[in-house]
Amino acid sequence: MKNACERWKDQLRETALTGARTPQFAEHLQTCANCSAELRDLEARRARLDTLLPLVAQGAEPPADFRARVLAAAEAAGKRRRVRRWQAWTLAGAAATAAIVLVVGAVLHRGTTGKIQPEGLAAAQKLAEWRAPSDSLLATPGQEILRTTPKLGESYLNVPMKAVEEE
Amino acid sequence: MSTLIARAEAHSPAVGFGERLAENQRRVFQIAYSVLGNSADAEDVAQEAFLRAYQKFDSLREAEKFRAWVNRIVFRLALNRKRGYRRRLERDTAWQSMESPAMVDGAKEAEQQVMLDRLRKEIERLPAKLRSVLLLSLVEEMDAADVGVVLGIPAGTVRSRVHTARKLLLEVMQ
Ligand SMILES: [Zn+2]
Repeated sequence: MKNACERWKDQLRETALTGARTPQFAEHLQTCANCSAELRDLEARRARLDTLLPLVAQGAEPPADFRARVLAAAEAAGKRRRVRRWQAWTLAGAAATAAIVLVVGAVLHRGTTGKIQPEGLAAAQKLAEWRAPSDSLLATPGQEILRTTPKLGESYLNVPMKAVEEE
Repeated sequence: MSTLIARAEAHSPAVGFGERLAENQRRVFQIAYSVLGNSADAEDVAQEAFLRAYQKFDSLREAEKFRAWVNRIVFRLALNRKRGYRRRLERDTAWQSMESPAMVDGAKEAEQQVMLDRLRKEIERLPAKLRSVLLLSLVEEMDAADVGVVLGIPAGTVRSRVHTARKLLLEVMQ
């Protein structure tokens, strides 16, 4: 008999859960004490499950002041965001101010260089024109020789020393 | 002039948001509670979900949009928090015994409390796909279509998974 009931195993659970039973299963139940007992057991379990399952989600309610608390938090977060935005603008403003100060400073600096003292200017010009003494030594006779092709009758060795003396 | 003020008020997030909050808070709290199993965490996570909704309220003014969005966000936030707890638990159990879950406020009798704890443990053992569908379906005001929207599955799939989950629980709930 037990083996014959195996085929009703799933049907028993379906019936316990949904109440639906096929005519064949209803017929079997009328003749099988085993399955009838198991169905009663499964139905009792389903009833317990039906009591307990909703509590898994509905066993608690949000606190009475939940809405007020969320609104306060939202407002505070909004304020923080506004402050952050304000700080960002302030920072951007500070950066812009710094840039302006730099540009104006550079322009003013250039302005002062225009009014540099005459003795300073003379010194700077002298410095720019200054050449190391070795420069004249480097102007070897050979360079001069190679630069000019001697005229007929002139020697390559006829080196004009005038340029060197000018230094 | 009055329409101008009305328009300005409608644009201020605080006005419409308070209304949406009132409509959704119970369900949102229950979604978090179904996953986390204790009020303090559920409240935290529900609040976080609403704060996020507030931040992008301009695109969530429509009631249906708000409802769907906040359902999905709170469920995800709750799962994340639970995952964090589980990781910490796994790390800590090496030297610390597992604590029993917090008392459930809705269960009045101690016996029922014990049964509920057992049921929660059995739900934890369900395959994740069945567990998500079952937990969301247990929330009031969540029909199969609502659950389907949160999980991105058809309502028919939701119904069949709930049935399978209940069948498995029937087996283990002696
Ligand atoms: Zn039988």
